[in-house]
Amino acid sequence: MARNRFTEKLGKVLNTNPFKNFFKLNRMRPPGAVAEKEFMELCIRCARCIEVCPYDSIHRADLFDKLQIGTPYIYAETRACYLCMKCPSVCPTGALNPKLTVDSEVRIGIAVINQDTCLNYLYYKEEIEGVSQGYAQLCNTCNNVCPFTDEAIYLEKFILPIVTDKCTGCGICTEKCPTTPKSINIYPIGMGVKEEGGFYSRKNKLHGKTEEITETLHGQDLIDTKRRMTSFGSKDDFKYNVEIKEDEDVWQNQ
Amino acid sequence: MAKPIKTYRRIAQISTLMAIFIIPFLNVWEIYFIKGTFYSMDIGDAAIADPLAVFQSIVASGKLNAYMIGSVVIPLALMMLLGRVWCSWFCPYYLLTEWIEVAKKKLGMNLKKPAYDKQYPSRASKFRFIFLLLGLLAMMVIGVPVLNLISAPGILSSQALVIVKFCYVTFELVIVFAILFMELFYYRYWCRLFCPTGTFLSLFRYKRGMTVYKVKADCSMCHSCVNTCPMVINPMADGESLHCNNCGDCIDVCPDNKKEETLKFTFK
Repeated sequence: MARNRFTEKLGKVLNTNPFKNFFKLNRMRPPGAVAEKEFMELCIRCARCIEVCPYDSIHRADLFDKLQIGTPYIYAETRACYLCMKCPSVCPTGALNPKLTVDSEVRIGIAVINQDTCLNYLYYKEEIEGVSQGYAQLCNTCNNVCPFTDEAIYLEKFILPIVTDKCTGCGICTEKCPTTPKSINIYPIGMGVKEEGGFYSRKNKLHGKTEEITETLHGQDLIDTKRRMTSFGSKDDFKYNVEIKEDEDVWQNQ
Repeated sequence: MAKPIKTYRRIAQISTLMAIFIIPFLNVWEIYFIKGTFYSMDIGDAAIADPLAVFQSIVASGKLNAYMIGSVVIPLALMMLLGRVWCSWFCPYYLLTEWIEVAKKKLGMNLKKPAYDKQYPSRASKFRFIFLLLGLLAMMVIGVPVLNLISAPGILSSQALVIVKFCYVTFELVIVFAILFMELFYYRYWCRLFCPTGTFLSLFRYKRGMTVYKVKADCSMCHSCVNTCPMVINPMADGESLHCNNCGDCIDVCPDNKKEETLKFTFK
């Protein structure tokens, strides 16, 4: 039994390539990128996409990106992708799918909102509780800057931003988010899939280095459930200081 | 008297060195006629890519597309027609090593050039092909085109692009400088024995292409061509060798050439 578990573990270690699939929060591949594993095989580090990017969004990975050095990355916190769709066509090896020309079809990541720090969520919570911490304010920045407003992101009850599966992962919301640390973060595509995690993600888990990743990320399930969740429970528990007659239609009586 | 070949070669080399800085600038000024780096570039609509880089990504991913094949046609055709002129006439790293050699001579340092003997070319060839094979093997094990990380011309040009666009450099430049620094102690060791790009290119050498050839049967046998050859081969006999990169230094230096054509570039 113990031996079986050992061989299982060994098989897992050997079957996942340690040099591919090294994910980080808020760090995406350029638009049109094929799956991370394939991307690492195909990318020849030619810097064509870096050259063609008019917004200087795409950066060349440095030493701290380990064997990914030289490959293109978009760091959402410094400069997001503005979906001009110039880079997929210049890639000489097809690491970026050249057939991708429509910006709404880009899927380089998915935005996830941290409801504990997002200003709008804080505002809503304070409104429910009726106590003010003094810093609550309406922000709506992510909703305003999103290139697909009301499709990729919408305001539930006109206050709580919700990301839908139309999110391209361009990261503009992350770039513009006014809070530190960012309340809306981009999880690059494939990051949540445990089986695809490479050597570095395993190592990071062992050393507990990237606590923010291991803490918030428990596989694709978490992201899915977060997206499925509505921001309130079945019924809001707001305590009104007036008596409300639910069966009476106020408007008709007036 | 005709100008020595080296003059033309220097012009080609220096304009290539300048091009790696000018191309990004053109791009910043929104002129897109010529774009890219030495891993892969577009001139007009013609796509050119480093054959080794493309070969690696084909092997690593097991995928092949028309664009990949199309982009290696021009470099391989050039290779078959004119020999390994990429290395000696255009590669920016080769120019740097030549300047280092000049500096070494001026400083009075020992060049440490290995002496020519008949076995040397075949031994050197074996060494660099084994190095290439080991590199490809490592690349297959890792599954990522890692040989690009030690391809000096590609790194130099992509770093030039990053400098022009973002005003910073990445760690890859340190790799090139480390290789270049060792050049002070070992004579042309990188181009001669290691460079995977050059080794892979020389696989496509075609006998009917341009080679150095001794036209006249007899010469003064001064061996100045053998002494000057940067690849440490005998230009009189080994013109067809995979090692020769058609730099033309031997033709310039040959004293017999001044009287009668002895050593020259020929197409067979």
